[in-house]
Parts: sequence; C-alpha cells; structure tokens
Amino acid sequence: MEKIKKRFISEIFYSILSLSSIILLILGWMYLASKRPELFPSPQETWDRLILFLEKPIRRIPLYSHVLDSLRRVGIAVLLACGFGIVLGTALGWSRLVKSTFGTIFELIRPIPPIAWVPLLTIWFGIGEFPKVLLVFIGTFAIVVVNTAAGVKMVEPLSLAVGKIFQANEFQMLKEIVLPASLPAIFAGIRTALGVGWAIVLAAEMLGAVSGTGFLITKGMSIGDTALIFICMFIIGIIGALLSVLASFIERRICPWKTDR
Amino acid sequence: MSVENRQVKLKIENINKTYQVKKSYFTAVKNVSLEVYKNEFLVILGPGLCGKTVLLNMIAGIEQPTNGKVYLDGEKIRGTHKSIGMVFQKLGLLPWKTVMENTEIGPKLAGVKKSERQKKAKNFLDMVGLTGFEKSYPHQLSGGMKQRVGIARAYTNNPDILILDEPFGQLDAQTRYSMQDEILRIWQMQKKTIIFVTNNIEEAIYLGDRIILLGKCPAEIKKIYDISLSRPRNVMDSGFLELRKMISSNMDLAV
Repeated sequence: MEKIKKRFISEIFYSILSLSSIILLILGWMYLASKRPELFPSPQETWDRLILFLEKPIRRIPLYSHVLDSLRRVGIAVLLACGFGIVLGTALGWSRLVKSTFGTIFELIRPIPPIAWVPLLTIWFGIGEFPKVLLVFIGTFAIVVVNTAAGVKMVEPLSLAVGKIFQANEFQMLKEIVLPASLPAIFAGIRTALGVGWAIVLAAEMLGAVSGTGFLITKGMSIGDTALIFICMFIIGIIGALLSVLASFIERRICPWKTDR
Repeated sequence: MSVENRQVKLKIENINKTYQVKKSYFTAVKNVSLEVYKNEFLVILGPGLCGKTVLLNMIAGIEQPTNGKVYLDGEKIRGTHKSIGMVFQKLGLLPWKTVMENTEIGPKLAGVKKSERQKKAKNFLDMVGLTGFEKSYPHQLSGGMKQRVGIARAYTNNPDILILDEPFGQLDAQTRYSMQDEILRIWQMQKKTIIFVTNNIEEAIYLGDRIILLGKCPAEIKKIYDISLSRPRNVMDSGFLELRKMISSNMDLAV
C-alpha cells in the first residue's frame, strides 16, 4: 500500500516535470518575442496567423492541401522505393551472383547525398512533380535496400536449417523463412525512409515548387513572415512524428509476433 | 528388439568432418561408422562439445561431410531427405508462425492441401498435449511446450527416421522427466527409427535400445551397449544402476 502511494507520488512528480519544461519553453518564447518582435512572432501572433491562413489560403490553396501535396510526393516515392528496394535488397542479401553484379555499382552511387542530385534533375526534368518524387525516391530507395539486405543476411542459420530439413526449394525458402525473418529489419528501413523522405521533400519543395509545406516555408522567408515559418515548422514536426507512429502501427499489425516494442 | 529381427535402416560409413579455421584444421568428427536398425531407439551419448551436433547435421544432410557416406535403406543419399526428420537442440521454431503454422510446415512445403495438412498437424499437436494452443505464437509458450511443438512438427512430416539433438537439454529436471516419458509413449504409438542424442547417462539408459558412446573431441565411437532392460524402466533398479556405473566409468566427463 505504502509502495503504491510512493509510486503514485513519483508519477505525479515526473508528469509535472515534463509539463513544466513545456511551459518554460513557451515562457522563453514569449520573452524572446517581447525583446525582438521582428525576429520572433509571439505565440499569440503565430496563432492569429494560423487562423488567417485557414481563412485566406496562400495561392488559393488551403493549408491542408499544401500538407497533402507534400505527403503525396513522399507517399508515392516511398511506396516505389519499398517496392523496388525490397526486391533488390533481398536479391543482394541472398544471391552471391546479384551481389557481385550490382553490389559495387550500388555502393558507389549510394553515398551521393540526395541534394546533390537536384541540379541534374532540374536540368533534365524541370521543376514539375516528377523530379520531386524522383528525388525522394533516390534518397529513400537506398535506405530500404540496405536494411533489407542486412535483414536477409542476418537470418538465423537455424531457421535456414529448418527450411532445409523440410526440403524447401529456393522460392519457398525466401517466402516462408527469409522474408518473414527479415521483416523487422525491413520495417526499420521503411520507418527511416519515411523520416528521410519527409526531409527530402521539404528540400525539394524549397528549391522550386508552387505548393507544399516546403514551398510555404520558403514563401515565409521571402516575405519575412516569421509567423508563417513558425507554423510550417510546427506542422513539419507534427507530421514527421505522425509518420513514425504510423510506421510502428503498421509494423505491429504485420509482425504480431514482435511484442517487445 | 531381438537381435535376429534387426534390419539396417540407416548406415553411416566412415564419416569425417574437418573445418578449416584460418590456417589450421579442426576435426570435429573422425571416422564414424555406425548402423541404425529399423524402429529402434538409438541413443548417442557423448560429453558436451564433442561434435555430436555436427555428426547429426551430416546424417540429416544439413551439413556435408568432408568425406564418408550415408546410406538410407541401402541407397546412398546426399543432402536432406524427406524420410529423415529432426528435432533441434535450440528448437528452431519460426517465431513469425503460429503453433499450427510451425507444425504444418513440412507438408505445406511438400504441397499438401491445407485442410489435409492441418488435420495431420492437429493430430500430432493433440498427441503432444498442445490442444488449444494452435493459434499461439512460440514466444507465448513455455520451454517444454516449445519442444513439444518441435516434436509435433517433425512427426507431422511423417519421416521414417527421427533425429533428436539433445532435445531436453534446456528444460528443467521436472519437465525433462515428463518429456522423456512422453517421447517413449509417442515412439511406442508411432513406431519410427529414433536417433536420440544426449549428454546425460541416466537419460540414455532410460530411453535407449542401444547406446553408442562417443569419446571426446573429435567425435569417435568408443563403445556400443545393448540395453535389454524391460520398459518402463526404473532408474533405481539394480540393473539400471549397474549399467550406469559401467557406462560412466567409460565416459569422458570432460565438458
């Protein structure tokens, strides 16, 4: 009884602690805003700007459409990256032949940061939808491939022995043993890919776009609208966190045997 | 089993396994030849780390011998064979499959229809006492239950020969005793040739028709014992104790 009471008190203590850190942050924000109003919009101003935005869209595109545009670009790119990446990753991890054929080329192209592709993609494809999706694809494909290949390589030899003793052929071995065993690694890759993809799409939109969250934040910069920039940054953070939660949710649904997370 | 009725099911001829570790060689199994009779309960007894698992893996076809041959019903075999099943020391249940999915994997890979293979699997799951656990995942089961799934899985594939690699080594003593009775009961219900590996003398005498005693590394056959005690055996029986004394004096208890 005494113990439970103690636990309860410490729970309250820690809740208050985390709440007060948030309050402190907002107080600091308000302080900075009062000192340098031209650099820091106050919380009140930021809120008013959000309301204004909701009432009067920028470029006649409502806020949620800007967000959805960015999300759509990431979604298509990551979906394609998963489709191709899981196939190539499995092949690289499983087959010596594929690894010797494509492994080196892949290792040479992989370290090029996605942003370094921007000039070429712009010259080749302009600033439409396609180069943006392609840029996110380039940045996320490698992540899925590397994680999948690592997962395939790390399948327990004992699980492979089980496949062998029951006379699995190559295809059955992949379908029944190798791929399910690699699913947690593949999902780790997809989660990272979503996060990185979200970052890349913002970069792509900041460099040239007529819609999207990245466009909004650059717009805020060009007209000196710090409140708009703040709003965008909040939204970007919240969406990023939601994507991570979504990935975990899907992973739990698809890998019900993984209970340790 | 009387000596006259013995019919050779599996024959291992001069099998060897040598690994290359950097620049030196390491021999795990050296010149082992043995015959396994049809429907016998053969126990291979040897100290820990003496290459028993390597020997078994070669018999099962999971590992290739450096040299030597394995004959099944007089025919030379290479690699795994559908007539040889295995219960692994470290279980080898697939964590992403339910108990039912783990158990039915043999016939599934062989292309047997779902209803048919699930009926078979259910039959053996009932036999090992796992009725009602078909939809559980391995991580939800206790050690003894997991090992039962391993046994049901091997039986569902209906092999002629079943290899059990120290199957009860990681169980607590109580569970271990009940599993020993269980495996004997199943063996008497569904006659199969069993190769049972252990490092425990008492377990060996309790279970086996014959005991093959291995020496320390590399695995080499030291002695073969015929156990003629009638079943069910009593570990406190004078015949039992005598055998136990005799075998332990010959066993290298090096671990």
